[in-house]
Amino acid sequence: MSHSGNTTITVKVVAAESLYKRDVFRSPDPFAVLTVDGSQTKSTSAAKKTLNPYWNETFTFNANENSILVIQVFDQKKFKKKDQGFLGVVNIRIGDVIDLSLSNFEETITRELKKSNDNVVVSGRLIIVVSHSATNGSTASSRSRPSAAIGGSSRSSSSAVQSSNTSAAAAVASTAASAGTSSNSNRQYSSFEDQYGRLPPGWERRTDNFGRTYYVDHNSRTTTWKRPTLEQSESERGQQRQNVTEAERRQHRGRTLPDDRASSPNPNNITVNTVGGAPASSGTSAVSLAATGGTTSGLGELPPGWEQRFTPEGRPYFVDHNTRTTTWVDPRRQQYIRTYGPNTTVQQQPVSQLGPLPSGWEMRLTNTARVYFVDHNTKTTTWDDPRLPSSLDQNVPQYKRDFRRKVIYFRSQPALRILPGQCHIKVRRDHIFEDSYQEIMRQTPEDLKKRLMIKFEGEEGLDYGGVSREFFFLLSHEMFNPFYCLFEYSAHDNYTLQINPNSGINPEHLNYFKFIGRVVGLGVFHRRFLDAFFVGALYKMMLHKKVVLQDMEGVDAEFYRSLKWMLENDIQGILDLTFSAEEERFGEMHEVDLKPNGREIEVTNDNKKEYVELITEWKIYKCVEEQFKAFMDGFNELIPEELVNVFDERELELLIGGIAEIDVDDWKKHTDYRGYQESDEVIQWFWKCISEWDNEQRARLLQFTTGTSRIPVNGFKDLQGSDGPRRFTIEKAGEPNQLPKSHTCFNRVDLPPYVDYDSMKQKMSLAVEETVGFGQE
Amino acid sequence: MSLKRITKELNDLGRDPPSSCSAGPVGDDLFHWQASIMGPADSPYAGGVFFLSIHFPTDYPFKPPKVQFTTKIYHPNINSNGNICLDILKDQWSPALTISKVLLSICSLLTDANPDDPLVPEIAHIYKTNPELYQKNAKEWTKKYAI
Repeated sequence: MSHSGNTTITVKVVAAESLYKRDVFRSPDPFAVLTVDGSQTKSTSAAKKTLNPYWNETFTFNANENSILVIQVFDQKKFKKKDQGFLGVVNIRIGDVIDLSLSNFEETITRELKKSNDNVVVSGRLIIVVSHSATNGSTASSRSRPSAAIGGSSRSSSSAVQSSNTSAAAAVASTAASAGTSSNSNRQYSSFEDQYGRLPPGWERRTDNFGRTYYVDHNSRTTTWKRPTLEQSESERGQQRQNVTEAERRQHRGRTLPDDRASSPNPNNITVNTVGGAPASSGTSAVSLAATGGTTSGLGELPPGWEQRFTPEGRPYFVDHNTRTTTWVDPRRQQYIRTYGPNTTVQQQPVSQLGPLPSGWEMRLTNTARVYFVDHNTKTTTWDDPRLPSSLDQNVPQYKRDFRRKVIYFRSQPALRILPGQCHIKVRRDHIFEDSYQEIMRQTPEDLKKRLMIKFEGEEGLDYGGVSREFFFLLSHEMFNPFYCLFEYSAHDNYTLQINPNSGINPEHLNYFKFIGRVVGLGVFHRRFLDAFFVGALYKMMLHKKVVLQDMEGVDAEFYRSLKWMLENDIQGILDLTFSAEEERFGEMHEVDLKPNGREIEVTNDNKKEYVELITEWKIYKCVEEQFKAFMDGFNELIPEELVNVFDERELELLIGGIAEIDVDDWKKHTDYRGYQESDEVIQWFWKCISEWDNEQRARLLQFTTGTSRIPVNGFKDLQGSDGPRRFTIEKAGEPNQLPKSHTCFNRVDLPPYVDYDSMKQKMSLAVEETVGFGQE
Repeated sequence: MSLKRITKELNDLGRDPPSSCSAGPVGDDLFHWQASIMGPADSPYAGGVFFLSIHFPTDYPFKPPKVQFTTKIYHPNINSNGNICLDILKDQWSPALTISKVLLSICSLLTDANPDDPLVPEIAHIYKTNPELYQKNAKEWTKKYAI
């Protein structure tokens, strides 16, 4: 055709990996366009929704050694747009990669994708095989050289032959290990294979910021720690995933908070639960109904010192001459606030002893004789007694924490009252993240404080609580999914979440953090729980508390141990540190000063304490500061900062995630003992105590011992420690006059051999309830 | 921090190499090394040369290096992927340890296996119940893969 010395070359476009992700919710449909010398053009088919497309398509061209092969990758979905969904380009001079003078030659080439002139960001690599043979034969071995250990030539074929690969994969596992030493040590696998062979189609292998391997299923947009096997079909995997989700959903539904009334978990769905036509808590019609249903005669004598009077409009009210107060409530009808659960002093308290209501407030009864309160200032109603906050400040003997009462106080605050009107959020179940993002970000925070009406597109069902519970359940699974790189699992236990310092890979990440903050706030505001648990340090940060070395234990136990070692040992000549940190940003190392000019200041035995403080703060807070601030902006739009500060970090976890129903039998079954036998008296007492406790106290013991109140969805057998599975462990340690201690890295509680049940119960309660971090080590 | 420390260790290794081990970067990447260990004379691995790959985490030495055998070896604490079950590479790691000390520990693991904390239970079982068979297998594998 053109140049002299032209010959036929074969180019097989095998795959690309780690393409740039322009869209948060969608992966591109990449295809490659090959051009030789600007005149011969061929293109591959489009791979669907992947950043690691696998084409394995072969093309032939006429070329000589000076020919230039250009391969461009585009997103088919965006091909019509201005930038054509450009995902990168590779330019190759044929003579640089193969020797055309040889009669048979084949070369596997992996090249970084490059930007084009318009400077759109790209990433990833392209793998091609260029060959040249006299007979123009097929390119038998398509595998790239570094993964030669994978062996088998035809095995590289795509999904179609996957089932036949299983045995090959197993065989490869052993040959890979035995195949020579030097080449082996260099083996590098692409992100869709490993030493056991190829991953199932649509799966990708990734390494997180802690160097742990996890697997991304692009089919379902989920991640897992477990390597997927080819033996399992996609539908089986789907079924398994569904089973897990169902178990998690059950667990999620079982969560409560201590202020949730036994009869009705939420005022919003009161109409469902209260038999006898009680009114809904909000909405004006309900209020007027309640007012008329109020007090009638035929109840006998008023208590001594009480008098019934009538307003000019003829409405009865009651004067308590003992306390010189008035109330609309007939003292003969309902004297007790019965809304706060069975065990509190509040419940037993006659209404009148709480003192007068604040100005503009009124107490009313539903016709099933339940007390509720009307705030005429804001024209709203609530089940919560507005006087309860003040009783908090009174000298009631209080534990440092009194979660139940804090929740009541918190809920009673005007800022947390549901505003009149409705907030409609309509989402598609299978696009819940992106739909929710649109819906929640387009509304003002004030709108979001109205009664939530969630609707799943195409589904019947009014939101009396169940729908919104499902909504928060599903949404929390999506938005915290490490798949989106916004959050990642901590190194502590593989399931508590923390902000991913590299979330900036998504250029929109700060908007998403704001959104997530809003959703967390929305859940707290509307009393819905998220199915997500953060590292302890994140709750502390939400309360504006300073993070300390102790918090590192829950974030990265290995790092924590080393810092602790550093404080306890002579570092002279061993650690060669300056007041700086290294930050890896997408493969590049950057040095960051921990204090002005820090990289010039050496860390010595004298100043190492300061270093530990600074590096801890940097590792936990500073490296995600931007993201965290965006998150808090969103959260504080619904939950004012000063209100949430009544809680400590452990309580905040319970407020956001709820308290799970804890199966003590399962717990006991999966507990190990060190120095104790299960039959020992102390152990018997321990379980007796646990079974007597309520779920809140049990959750607190879990927080104390494991760092989180989360229970693995399959129960205690799956409890994780910082170094893999770690069952709950009780170790004999300490003196009977001491409190129990905990080692959250190992899910272990040190239980001294107490002499009797009562002293043990008292010590245990104190340790888990008294304060955060107390007695921990 | 890590780069400085790794460079220092590399210099120390050059100045004072530990007996029967060697280690150094694979290419330009100082975070990725290759090491070799000579099978200890008093073990069934004698005569073999075993290669290992070493990856330093960015937080090194606050985090342990990731060390893996790349030569197949018959040992209760080393599995077919080359993963090593050794406490100092896990929760007993301390920043005072170095690659040189780690390699020496691995050498002594080759001499004295720890069958009570096995990574390969089958080999551990043979090690405990039939020492001759263990010796024989280990020697065979050494001959086959490491010589």
